[in-house]
Amino acid sequence: MDEHLTEGYSEPCKQCGAVSWALSDGCQFFCRNCHNVIEKTQDVVDVSSFILNNKISSISSSSRKKTRREGGREWMVCEGFQFILKLQAEALVGLGVCPQFKTDVLWDFWKRYLQITRQAYTRSPVNSFTNTVYLSSESEPESAFLSEASDQTEPMSASGHSTDGRSSVCSGSLDAACYLSAKERKSRQLMNMPRTLALCHLALLWLREAITLADLLRLVSRRLIPYINVYEEFPEEMQFYGRDAIIFRVETIPSYRKVHGEALQMAEILQLPAFPPVTSDCLLHPALLSLRYLMEVNLPDELHSLVCRVIEKSAMGKESFLTFNPSKPKSTFLFYDLQAAALIIVTMKLLFKLDDHVEWTLSRKAVKKDDQGKKKTSKQGSKMFSLKAWYMTVHPALERARQREELFEARRPWKSKKVLIPAMKHKAVVLKRRRVVEQLQSSFHTLTGSVPEQQSSSPSSFQFLWGQEEDSDGPSLHHKRLNCMLEKRGKEKWLVNQAYWHTDLKRCHKKDCRDHYSELKHSLPRMYVWLLGLFSFLLRIFV
Amino acid sequence: MDDIEAELGISRSVGNEDFSDSSEDERVARKIRPPILLHSSTAQARAKESGFHESSRLCLKAIRDAMLHHHWQEAAQYLSAYSQTLEDTTVNKQSLACEIIWRLGTEILQHHPNSRLEDFNALYEQMKNSGVKNYAKICLEHSFHLLLNGHIYDAKRQLSVAASWRYGKQSVPQSLDLKLIHAYCGFLDYVIWHMKKSSVSEAEDNSSNREMHSYFRQASVTLQEIIAQPGVWDPFVLSYVDMLEFYNDQEEALKVLQNYAYNKDYPSNPNAHVYLYQFLKRHEAPPAKLISILKVLHHLVPSHELMQEYCYLLVNSVVPGHLEESLPVVFNLLDYPSWKNDLDTWNCLLTVMTVFKRKGLQHLIANEWKQRKDFWLTMHYRAYHGRKDSELNRELLLVKAKVAKLLGEHGKPDHFFKYKLLIIFIFLMF
Repeated sequence: MDEHLTEGYSEPCKQCGAVSWALSDGCQFFCRNCHNVIEKTQDVVDVSSFILNNKISSISSSSRKKTRREGGREWMVCEGFQFILKLQAEALVGLGVCPQFKTDVLWDFWKRYLQITRQAYTRSPVNSFTNTVYLSSESEPESAFLSEASDQTEPMSASGHSTDGRSSVCSGSLDAACYLSAKERKSRQLMNMPRTLALCHLALLWLREAITLADLLRLVSRRLIPYINVYEEFPEEMQFYGRDAIIFRVETIPSYRKVHGEALQMAEILQLPAFPPVTSDCLLHPALLSLRYLMEVNLPDELHSLVCRVIEKSAMGKESFLTFNPSKPKSTFLFYDLQAAALIIVTMKLLFKLDDHVEWTLSRKAVKKDDQGKKKTSKQGSKMFSLKAWYMTVHPALERARQREELFEARRPWKSKKVLIPAMKHKAVVLKRRRVVEQLQSSFHTLTGSVPEQQSSSPSSFQFLWGQEEDSDGPSLHHKRLNCMLEKRGKEKWLVNQAYWHTDLKRCHKKDCRDHYSELKHSLPRMYVWLLGLFSFLLRIFV
Repeated sequence: MDDIEAELGISRSVGNEDFSDSSEDERVARKIRPPILLHSSTAQARAKESGFHESSRLCLKAIRDAMLHHHWQEAAQYLSAYSQTLEDTTVNKQSLACEIIWRLGTEILQHHPNSRLEDFNALYEQMKNSGVKNYAKICLEHSFHLLLNGHIYDAKRQLSVAASWRYGKQSVPQSLDLKLIHAYCGFLDYVIWHMKKSSVSEAEDNSSNREMHSYFRQASVTLQEIIAQPGVWDPFVLSYVDMLEFYNDQEEALKVLQNYAYNKDYPSNPNAHVYLYQFLKRHEAPPAKLISILKVLHHLVPSHELMQEYCYLLVNSVVPGHLEESLPVVFNLLDYPSWKNDLDTWNCLLTVMTVFKRKGLQHLIANEWKQRKDFWLTMHYRAYHGRKDSELNRELLLVKAKVAKLLGEHGKPDHFFKYKLLIIFIFLMF
């Protein structure tokens, strides 16, 4: 293992006469055959060697060897991403995901990624400086090596390194420059910040956890999963400046579409096999997911049976349809949450037609039927579900929630206390600006007399609260009946509304298929548009 | 609508990826969107902006709403969240951020119930030093603020620090502000001199006297420099003349005032003539001189309040021909709605008309009246005016009636007759 460190020393061992030395934890030479420890210790060489610490939670100092160079050590950008993934995984496990997420699934995906992109775990890494890399042995499953050879004085290719200094003047990490050219990024399939979320999403999908992509992005937005300014938590030794800023700095929370695309690409890169099947008892199945969304939007529970019927008829509940299989070329990578929402919308459309006329007629009928029924059973609240009542309850709550969300977004702090210095010549200016900002903020805080509370109390998967509590958004309509939507003809129950509409379908090229909604929006019925707006607010997908 | 972006000069924000090393000057040369339109952006621009920019746009909107509804506490909270835009890496947005935070911050502090002078000072100091484009303006505003709160010496100190500021290329676009700073330095010297003068007049203290004189010297040097340049320098001229009068340097003062009023390089300024007139009146100049000044003023501003004095001067003047000029002056004055209900003006008219009648100059009255009879009747002599004057200003009603009597001899007697009937009726009622 430590041949590169002990290769200078070729004295035979006094006890057994072999020449095979290794370094102990105390940096002392010992013979591998007879474990005889000798006096000689490792010379302080100019060549640095270090061991990458992995994602175990306790960092044991014995397994880490590093040279302290001005209080810092050298690090590669993928180490940074590894650290970020570790923090994200810990956050997710803290939120209730099973611990195997962190220790097995995500870690395995990450190792596989490093291996496939030849950044580690390979005999011929892709980094521009040649080095001898060691594969992790089976006996140490949890540690990995990334080390550099002594011949770093070889001329570097366009990586911007200075030959004598290890960490370049442009960046704290060693290979940040590689990450900056788009061509290299694409050809080598390098990591970026949205991809960390994509990897988490794939791992969650593998475990068939209930956290959908929309939920993941919402947790990121609520800062429950570290994403913005996560570099603040890098350890002290990883000196962070210069071009690292561009790689790790985040100024946008990626959109759903982007993360989904990245996840698809990652699945291709990782050459994953078929995912575990999504069965009807797993929370990603549209039957269960739609129940969750029905509760969220305060629709009656009776609607769920209708939604299940739609799932059956459209064959969207089949395992083969729902399971993602990257190895098959035609397999689609599904949007589980969008699918569930779409099923609910289609069911609503079947039930109410949603063309700005029929649904209001039906709700008037429901109210009338209710009034008739009231004469018989007094003292009961209205039992029938009326779309109008539902709309009048949900719409104000939606507007309030939108307003809250907008103000939350307005107050969101993007800049961190740990200042990012993109280039040394800007250092003074950047530090001064940070100082000014902090002074301004503290003076305004003393003026207003309070620090506004940013964080919500506890993470909840529901955004609306329906019921009789004080801070609920409105009365709960879950118990309403849908009898008036169904009528008996003979022995069967038929839907009152027998019509269905759809916008014109036309073929479009896959690559040009972008944004049809904005073209069609003005011609769609307002109720339909409102319903789409409701679900897009819930799922944080902005059209 | 399509080309609104081109018209407003919207620039695409520089992406975060290419943090290249171009200097700030190049970025300045690109078109910058005026801050007033920052909150309204097109849908295309919104689609492409980063989350950080979206947050700052929403934050600005929230600040604007809070300020318009006078929720100052909320506005302060949002402004403190907005201050993170100072760290924006896109250069044009960052320079705008300095200006926005300065202007909004001062506005909020002015209205917030808990704000103190230290908060203002701190804000001004910080915003002065972040970004050089607004340095001169912020300095001026800071010293005005101190001046309005009575801290004259602090204001003076701020301005003298600012006056000696130079920053390469930035000094040129801010040269006008720097000139103003220089001028106000002189003005503040005058204010301090004035304070010392009023305090010194009781005690004869040599050292404070000397201080006073030194301030006078400083002020006069600066003010002389400033006034020598063409422009509108009303307060500075007044202060300079005040100081000169105190030291009995009448000629210099007269020279300055005449230059200010008559020099063709200076923009036409009626106040200059007013100041000159007032100065000469104080020093008892001959009426002919006064008349000549007021003649110019009459040409510039026929509705000026000094026109009454002018009229009386003309009436009492011994120079032939002046008397005839007085009638058009007072008629011109009453053509303006601001003098419609002024008793003194109507009295003046009455006086002039009686004098003219006495001197047999009625043909002149007839001339003037011929021009005006159409609109004067509706302007001054309607039943509505009669009723209103009877309620508010009886004397005016009487004077107007007398004028009417005189005017009636020249035309439209029946209208005046009806008017007079109305007045008699009103008098009978009350």
